[in-house]
Amino acid sequence: MDKLKELYAYRQMLISLVKKDLRGRYKASVLGFFWTFINPLLQLLVYTVVFSVVMRAGIEKFYIFVFVALVPWIFFSSALTGGANIIVMNQDMIQKIYFPRIVLPISYVTSCFVNMLFSFIVIFAVLFVTGYGFNFTACLFLPLIMIIEYIFALGLALITSACTVYLRDLEHILGIVSMAWMYMSPVVYPLSFIPKELQSVFQLNPMAPIITAYRDILYYKQIPQMQTLLLATVTGIVFVCVGCFVFERLQRGFVEEL
Amino acid sequence: MKNENSIELVNVKKKFKIYADKGNSMKDKMLFWKRNQYEDHWVLDDISFAIKKGEAVGLIGRNGCGKSTTLKLINKIMYPTDGKVKVNGRVSSLLELGAGFHPDMTGRENIYTNASIFGMTKKEIEEKIDDIIAFSELDEYIDNPVRTYSSGMYMRLGFSVAINVRADILLIDEILAVGDMSFQKKCFKRLKEIKNAGTTIVIVSHALGQIEQICDRCIWIDYGKIRRIGKPMEVHAEYLKELEKRSQQRMQALNGEPGTGNDSNTFCGREVIRSGSGQLFFTGVELFDRDGNRESVFQTGEYMRAEYTFTAAKEIHKAEFAVRIYGDDDTHYYGSTSVIEKSCTEEIQGKSKFIIEFEKLELLEGDFMLDVDALDENGEVLDRIHDTIRFCIQNTTGRTGICNMSSTWKLE
Repeated sequence: MDKLKELYAYRQMLISLVKKDLRGRYKASVLGFFWTFINPLLQLLVYTVVFSVVMRAGIEKFYIFVFVALVPWIFFSSALTGGANIIVMNQDMIQKIYFPRIVLPISYVTSCFVNMLFSFIVIFAVLFVTGYGFNFTACLFLPLIMIIEYIFALGLALITSACTVYLRDLEHILGIVSMAWMYMSPVVYPLSFIPKELQSVFQLNPMAPIITAYRDILYYKQIPQMQTLLLATVTGIVFVCVGCFVFERLQRGFVEEL
Repeated sequence: MKNENSIELVNVKKKFKIYADKGNSMKDKMLFWKRNQYEDHWVLDDISFAIKKGEAVGLIGRNGCGKSTTLKLINKIMYPTDGKVKVNGRVSSLLELGAGFHPDMTGRENIYTNASIFGMTKKEIEEKIDDIIAFSELDEYIDNPVRTYSSGMYMRLGFSVAINVRADILLIDEILAVGDMSFQKKCFKRLKEIKNAGTTIVIVSHALGQIEQICDRCIWIDYGKIRRIGKPMEVHAEYLKELEKRSQQRMQALNGEPGTGNDSNTFCGREVIRSGSGQLFFTGVELFDRDGNRESVFQTGEYMRAEYTFTAAKEIHKAEFAVRIYGDDDTHYYGSTSVIEKSCTEEIQGKSKFIIEFEKLELLEGDFMLDVDALDENGEVLDRIHDTIRFCIQNTTGRTGICNMSSTWKLE
């Protein structure tokens, strides 16, 4: 409880760090903040070229199919891999100043999250401009699934950021893990591509229901299945609790390890 | 925890693992597991003290004695291995200046980031921002990106934020050396204001003078234990004596008996700058107080006697001796010769000691060294040594500056 109160007292630090990260990211570049929008657009372009010209998967409007899943995935994977580094990167600050250490991973995941929100502006613009359209009622579920994904990503980032302090290899291991994880998740293919007997195994992947829910809402324009949502919520909450616990335990030794 | 206390340490112990050769990567951990053998090192060994609200306390001790660790424990940057650290109130620290600065953002934007790291809310920052900018003296530069700042400007900005954080406890580690003299003075003045406003202050410093000016009490930590707590002046006097004693012990351990150096570029076993024909050769020097005890720490106004031993190779009809006092920054404080002092230095042979007595040391404070010369009647150098011995003067008079002036004050 005290921890929460303290975290609340440091809310301005969270806000500042997120702002600094978002604005600082493209500050020195010519186009500046526009990169936040240009980046996903260019990605969309690449995927469109690759999947509708080179590799025809036989899925209607494949670029939209991929894009609505890819944007949430990029948020997740950058929170996972970048988040792992956040404590080590800020070691000067950690060794010299007291603040609740948990602010760092939270602010990093939040700034990735905000970045995803900007990308969603691009998604909606594309849906609108191409005339693909969207289902308003289904979209009401979008914030919910975003929050669930945020919680899950935060839980993982808490664990990885704390563990990386003790085992620096994790940073590199996570790069590979995140790549493998992407292909294990229904990001560039639908879940139905997976052989029947392996379906249950793939369902164990907590990202599978989350990605599926995004796609239900935006691509299939339907309300996601309640079962999927519930499963994702429970996984998210479990992970964030475990994450907080692990982080709190490990953070006591940060200064000595760094 | 008692209500009037703002910091309490109860039987605090802190252990560090000293790795012979530490590997953080998996390869290192698995392949070279032998390297991960470590020794336990108790940085703090059962320390207890309490600091009252509004009190200013200095922590002194040699490097590695555990004083900075103590500060980090109070700041909750580290956690004790054993014992309890209780802190009552918001802590701010002047340990790291300019934390979280982004080079591409303006000074003003960085103030927000930096201040928020100290736990200030947006409202608090907005109340303070004018003070912060005024204090930093950055004026029109405040809206330029921080990367265009000089390092002095950068530090000034960082310091201004840190010192304007409203806190109940302020921790300072050896950083009152920011910016030019006038800025330092201002920082010091602000520190006194903060103290008068009732903030508890803990300072780690080697600048004993600064501690004496601000602190009510001083804690001397030695090998992870508290050696002494008391008034800064008293603790410092004892601390300096101990330091001097140790450095002499170290020198003796290196060179056997003091004063037996016979090499041309050494004196008392130390390497020195030395020149001269060597027909008169200084072999040793010692400082004494009035009671004839060997001493190296004196107080302003005290008696000091320096005794130089020498050997003269052949008969020297008439010699001239000279002595100079230098500060550790090579400032020349004093110098005189046997000619000026009209001392009889004829027929040297048979004598082997040259003694100078200072009835009253009229230097105020600092570390000093003595130079000595011996010249023959034609002015040719027989032996000349720079930095023959060091001594330290403590100022307990309360007067400031470099030399003591006797004066009478009255109103008419």
